[in-house]
Amino acid sequence: MLTLLEQLDKGVLWQSPGGIHPPQFKTLSNQSAIARLPLAKRFVVPVPLVGEQATLTVSVGDTVLKGQVLTEGSGFTYLPVHAPTSGKIVAIEQHATNHPSSLPTLSCIIESDGQDTWCELTTSNLAQLSKAEILGKIKQAGIAGMGGAAFPSHVKLNPASEIDLVIINGIECEPYITSDDRLMRDHSDEIIAGVAIIHHLLSPQRIIIAIEDNKPEAAHAMKAAISRSSLPQDMVRVTVIPTKYPSGGEKQLIQIITGKEVPSGAIPAQLGIVVHNVGTAYAIQDAIYHGKPLIERVVTLTGEHIGHPGNYWIPIGTTVADTLQSVSFTTSIDQKVIVGGPMMGYALADLDVPILKGTNCLLVPSPNEIAPDVDEKACIRCGECAVACPALLLPQQLFWHSKAQEYDKAASFNLKDCIECGCCSYVCPSDIPLVEYYRVAKSALKTAAEEKRQAEQAKIRFEARLKRLEDEKNAREAKAKEAAAKRQANMKASDKDAVAAAMARIAAKKAQTESHVNSEEASSSVAPTAADPKKAAVNAAIERAKAKKAAQANTSSVPVATNNAEDDKKAMIAAAVARAKAKKAAQETNATSPQESEPTTVTAIDDKQARVAAAVAKAKAKKAAQETSTTSSQESEPTTVTAIDDKQARVALAVAKAKAKKAAQEASTTSPQESEPTTVTAIDDKQARVALAVAKAKAKKASQEASTTSPQESEPTTVTAIDDKQARVALTVAKAKAKKAALQHVTQQDDAGLASPIADTATLNELHILPTENKLAEQPADCSDQKPGADLSPEQIKKAKVAAAIAKAKAKKLAQNAEQEEQ
Amino acid sequence: MTSIFIAVAVLTLLALVFGVILGFASKKFKVEGNPVVDQVEALLPQTQCGQCGYPGCRPYAEAIANGDHINKCPPGGTATMEKIAELMGVDEEPLNAQAQSAVKKVAYIREDECIGCTKCIQACPVDAILGAGKLMHTVIAKDCTGCDLCVEPCPVDCIDMIPVETTIQNWDWKLNTIPVKVIHSEQEETAC
Amino acid sequence: MAFKIASSPHVSTNLHTNTVMKRVALCLIPGLAVQSYYFGFGTLIQLVLAVSIAYCAEAAVMKLRHKNIKATLADNSALVTAALLAVAIPPLAPWWLIVIGTLFAIVIVKQLYGGLGNNVFNPAMAAYVLLLISFPVQMTSWVAPQTLALHQADVLSSLQSIFELNAPYLAEHFRLGIDGTTMATPLDTLKTDLSMGLTTTESMSKPIFSGMAAEGWFWVNMAYLAGGVIMLKLKVIRWHISGAIIASLFVCASFGFLISPDTFVSPIMHLFSGGTMLAAFFIATDPVTAATSPRGRLIFGAMIGVLIYVIRTFGGYPDAVAFAVLLANMCAPFIDYYIRPRSYGHRTGN
Repeated sequence: MLTLLEQLDKGVLWQSPGGIHPPQFKTLSNQSAIARLPLAKRFVVPVPLVGEQATLTVSVGDTVLKGQVLTEGSGFTYLPVHAPTSGKIVAIEQHATNHPSSLPTLSCIIESDGQDTWCELTTSNLAQLSKAEILGKIKQAGIAGMGGAAFPSHVKLNPASEIDLVIINGIECEPYITSDDRLMRDHSDEIIAGVAIIHHLLSPQRIIIAIEDNKPEAAHAMKAAISRSSLPQDMVRVTVIPTKYPSGGEKQLIQIITGKEVPSGAIPAQLGIVVHNVGTAYAIQDAIYHGKPLIERVVTLTGEHIGHPGNYWIPIGTTVADTLQSVSFTTSIDQKVIVGGPMMGYALADLDVPILKGTNCLLVPSPNEIAPDVDEKACIRCGECAVACPALLLPQQLFWHSKAQEYDKAASFNLKDCIECGCCSYVCPSDIPLVEYYRVAKSALKTAAEEKRQAEQAKIRFEARLKRLEDEKNAREAKAKEAAAKRQANMKASDKDAVAAAMARIAAKKAQTESHVNSEEASSSVAPTAADPKKAAVNAAIERAKAKKAAQANTSSVPVATNNAEDDKKAMIAAAVARAKAKKAAQETNATSPQESEPTTVTAIDDKQARVAAAVAKAKAKKAAQETSTTSSQESEPTTVTAIDDKQARVALAVAKAKAKKAAQEASTTSPQESEPTTVTAIDDKQARVALAVAKAKAKKASQEASTTSPQESEPTTVTAIDDKQARVALTVAKAKAKKAALQHVTQQDDAGLASPIADTATLNELHILPTENKLAEQPADCSDQKPGADLSPEQIKKAKVAAAIAKAKAKKLAQNAEQEEQ
Repeated sequence: MTSIFIAVAVLTLLALVFGVILGFASKKFKVEGNPVVDQVEALLPQTQCGQCGYPGCRPYAEAIANGDHINKCPPGGTATMEKIAELMGVDEEPLNAQAQSAVKKVAYIREDECIGCTKCIQACPVDAILGAGKLMHTVIAKDCTGCDLCVEPCPVDCIDMIPVETTIQNWDWKLNTIPVKVIHSEQEETAC
Repeated sequence: MAFKIASSPHVSTNLHTNTVMKRVALCLIPGLAVQSYYFGFGTLIQLVLAVSIAYCAEAAVMKLRHKNIKATLADNSALVTAALLAVAIPPLAPWWLIVIGTLFAIVIVKQLYGGLGNNVFNPAMAAYVLLLISFPVQMTSWVAPQTLALHQADVLSSLQSIFELNAPYLAEHFRLGIDGTTMATPLDTLKTDLSMGLTTTESMSKPIFSGMAAEGWFWVNMAYLAGGVIMLKLKVIRWHISGAIIASLFVCASFGFLISPDTFVSPIMHLFSGGTMLAAFFIATDPVTAATSPRGRLIFGAMIGVLIYVIRTFGGYPDAVAFAVLLANMCAPFIDYYIRPRSYGHRTGN
C-alpha cells in the first residue's frame, strides 16, 4: 500500500464521479500571447464593503494614482480596493455591478487622466519579511481568488491547521476560457515565484500544479519553470489530469488528486489541503516582489462575435462595454454576453458593469455556438442528470422539490452540496434549467434560515420586553403603595401648611429670581470652562433640575451650583443624582426645610453625551414636576436654557404651540388679564426674543397663581442668550411650561389673551409660507408690542411649518379632550 | 353456565391486564407540556403584531392548539397557514385579512419629523425602536419585524413601512425580473 | 439590441426528449420487421392504427387541458406508447381492441396522471393488462408463425380480419397450424402441457418449438435484443434495467431448471420467448415509470425479472411481462425513496 505522498509523487489519479465532456472551443482564444487594450476613459470600482467593514479614504473630486488604496478597514476578510489607473474620482454612487442580478452597489467612478501614473510602490525581498508581513502585504494588495469566487487569499494562506498539500489549480475546465492557460504559457516563471511564496508561507509537504491534458503547452512551460526555479524539485510537480468538466472545481480537483472527499460543509483546509489558482500565485508574486496591488487581470475575450478573440490584461474596473468595444464585437438577436464560461457563467443584463477580480472570461457567442434557449419540457426522469452530477446528488429529485417550492425537502436531498456546475442542465433532454431552480431554491432556503433566525431573535426580544414591563409594573405598584402610606401619614400637615405654602411660594419665587441672577453670575464666573455652548447646555440642564427641585421643596433659598467640572461622566451622574433628588423632594411633601443640594462640578467633554444627559434631565425634571400633586403651585424657574439642537428646539416649539391652543380652549373663566409691559434689556433681536419669551412665561405663571388674584408684576429679567438656537429653545420651553401650568389651573384666570395669539400664529405659520422668521416672531410681538426681526433660513422655515402642523394636530386633539371635560 | 362464567372471567381478566398496561404506558410515555403549542409557535413568524387578536405569537399558538382558527396570522401569510393546517390536521382556510404583500417591510422613521413622543417605542413589541422623550427616535432595522404596530400610535405620521431593499446578498435569483438594458454595438451604430 | 439573460449553463447536449423517443421508436424497427415476417402484416396495420389514434387522443386531451398541442405531440412519446402496444397485442386482434387500448393508454394512464413525466404506470403495459383482463379470448389469439401456419395471412386478409369485415372467425382461421389444430403461443402451450402432466421435453417436441426455443419467437426476441443493443450504443437507455431483468430472469430460470428440468422451463426458453426482450429493452426502460438511480434501476430490473419468472411459472397467465412491469412501476417510487446515492462529502448516504 502506497502512502498518499508516494501516490502523489507517482501521479496516481482518482476518478471523480459524474462530469461531462462539452466541446472545448479553447483554440479560439489561446493562439496569441496576452495582449493589452487601450486604456479606458472611465472606470467603475465597486467598494461593496464600505459601510460594513470599511470606510472610503477618498471623496469625489480627489485625484488618485494608479494603485492607490481607496478604502480602509479592518476585519479578517476585509480586502482593500485600489484605483486601477490614475485620474479623478468623478462620483461615488450606486452603480450596477458585475453580478447576475446587475443590482447597484456603491462604486467609485474614476475618470482616467490617461497618464496611468503609478503611486509609490515598495518592492521587497522575501527573505527579509516575516510571514505576518508577507500576509499583510498580500492583504494590502487586495488579492482575492482569481478562479471566480474571489475569496480573500490571505485567509486561505493563513489557515488554522497544518497544510500538507497545496494544489495550484491550472485546470480551467470550462470551455472557451484560456486565461490561465495563456498565463501559464507566458508567465510560468512568475507563477512559480508566487508558488514559492505560498510554499514559504504554508510549508506544505507537496505542491501539485494540476493542469488538464488539453493544455500540453502550459504543462510543458510550468515543468520547465519548476526546473529553473530554486524550489526543491521533489516537492513540486505538475500533474496532468484527463480533460473532464468540472475537474477544476475545488472539491472535484481534490478528489482527483488525492482520492479524498471534502466533507459536506467543511473546507479543504480541514483535510490539510489548500487550492490556489495560478492567477492568484501570479498576483501574489506581483504584490511581494513589485509591490503592485491586484488592479488588473487576464481576461479571455472570446466567442465568435468578438472581433479579436484572445487574452488581455484588463484593469479591474474597466467596464464590460468599453472592453467589448475595443475588441470590436457584434451582436445578434437575443445576444448573450456571458461573464465566465458557458457552463457556469452568467449572462449580463447591463454591459455598463466593471470587470472584477474574479472575472476570467467574457464570452460573446454567436447563435451557431450557443443555441438560443428552448422551452422547458416535462422531466422524463431519465436519470442522466444523476449520472452527470459530480456531487452525486439526485438532480431530478431536487428539481421536483424545488419546482414545487418544497425547499425543506430539497434541502433533505443535500441541495446545499450542489456546486451549480451545470452538468445536469447540460445533459437534460428536456432542456430544464435545473441550476436556475437550484439557485432559486438555495436563496429561498437562505432567506428562510435568515427569517427563522430573525423570528427567534424577535421572540427573545419580545419575551425580554414582557419581562421588563412586568418588572416595571411591579416596581411602580410598590412605589405607589409606599407613597400612599406616606400621604396618609402626612395628610394633616399638608392641610395646615396650605396658607404657609402659598406664602412660601411667593418667597420662593423671589428667591428664584435671585438664584437665577446668582446662577448667571456663577456661570459667567466659570465662563472660561463653560465657554463651549455644549458645556453650557449640560450646566443649564443640571441647574434647571436643581432649581426645580428647590422650588418643589418650597425652599426659600436656592443654593448656587458652581459648575466647575472635570469630566462628563461625573456630569451625567451628577445630573442623575440631581434628578433623583428633585423627584424625591417632590414626593416628600412634608419636607419643608430647605435642602442643600450638593455643589456639583460639571464639565462636558463629550458633547454628545452631555446633550443626552441634558435632555434626559430636562425630561425627568418635567415629569417630577407633574408628579408633585400636593404642592399646588409650581414655580417655573428662570432658566438659561441651552438648546440641545435646533431640531429639538423646533419640535418643542411646535408642541408648545399646540398646548397653548389647548389651554386657550380649556379656559373657562372669561376675565382677561393684562400682562404687564415688560422691561426687556436686550442686546440684540434674538436676545430680545428670548427675554420676551421668558417674560411671557412669567406673566402667565403669575396669572396662574391659584391663591393670589391680583396682577403681579413680572420682574425684569436679564437674559443672556448664547445663540439664536438657544434663544428659540428658551422661548419654547418657557411657553411649554406656561401651558403646563395653564393645564393644571383650569379654573384660574384666563390666559387666552396670552395663549391664543400664539395659537393663531401657529395657524398663520401653517397657512402662509413665511419667508422670514419675522412672522414667526410675531407671537411675542402680539403680546408685548415688540418686533424683533431676524433672518431664518428656508429649511428652518420648513421645519417650523412641520412643527406648526404638528402643533395644530395636537391642539385639535386637546380641544376635543377639553370639550369632553366640559361636558 | 360455567362457560359463561369463564367467558366473563376471562374478559374481566383481559380488561384488567390491558387496563394496567394502558395505565403503565400513560405514565411511562407521558408527554410533558403541550408540544403542539411549541410546534405551532415555531411556525408563527414571531412578529408579535397582535393582528390575530392575541397579545403575541405564543398566546395565538396556544389558541390554535385549543382549536382556534388558523387563518388569523397575516404576517405569516398563506404559507404559514398551510403549515399549521398540516401540523394540526385541519383544513386550510383563506386568510381572514386581505393577503398582505409578500414583501418584507421594516418601519422607518422620518427623523426630521419625529417629535420624540416615545409612543412608537411603547408600541414596539420587540423593542426595536431607539430613542428618548423629546429626542429623535430611530428603528433598528435588523430587529424590526415589520408588524406595523408603531405606525398607528405615531401622532405625526412620520413612520413609513418600507420594503426591505434587495441587495446582492439577499437576491433571490429570479432572473426574469431583471430589467434588461438596451445597448448598441459598434457595428449597429455605424449601420444606423 | 436587447441582451438575453438566462441561467447557466448556456450550452446543452443535442439529446433532447423528442430525439430520445424517436430513437426508441426507430430501434423497434428490427423487431417489428421480424415480427411481421413471422406473424404477418397484422402488426403493421395495428401500428398504423395505434399511432394515429394515439396522436388524435393526445391532441384532444391537450386541447381540453389548454396546452400547447404541437409541442406535446412533438415529443414523440405517444408514438412510442402506441408502437409498444401495437407490437404487444396479437397481430390480427380486432380493431376496437387496439383503439380501446390506445385511448386508455394515452388518455387515462398518461394524460390523466399529468402527462409525460407524471404517469405512474407504463401506458402501453397498463393498456395491455386492461385488454388482457377484459378481452382474454381476443388477447390470447395469436396467429401461428407463418412458417408453421396452415393459412398465410396476406395484407388483405389481415385487414379483413382486423376490421372484422366478412369473417368473424377469420382470426381463428390463421391460428391453425400445419397439422390443422389451433396453435397457442409457445408459453401457453407449455403451461397447458405442464398442467396436463407432460414434461417440458415432451412439450418442447411439439412443432411450435424449434430446438432450444420457440419457432419465430426466438428470432423476434433476438431482433428486439439487437434493437436494444443499438439503443445502448446510442445512449438512449442505460444498461442497468435491461441487464438486471435478463440476469435475474436467467438466474431464476436456471435455478429452477437445474432442480427439475422436467417441470421447469429452460432459461433460454424464458429469455427468448414471449415479450422478454421487448420488455427488457423497450418497456421496462421507460424512464418515467422506472427507478432513477443506477442502483435503484438494478433493483427495479431484478424485480421485473423475478416477477416474470414467478408469474410465468406459478401464475395463471402464460406470459407475465405486463404484470411484472406494472408491479415494478408501483414500487419505483419506493425504490427511489430508499435507494439514495451517497452525496459527495457525506460519509454515509442518508
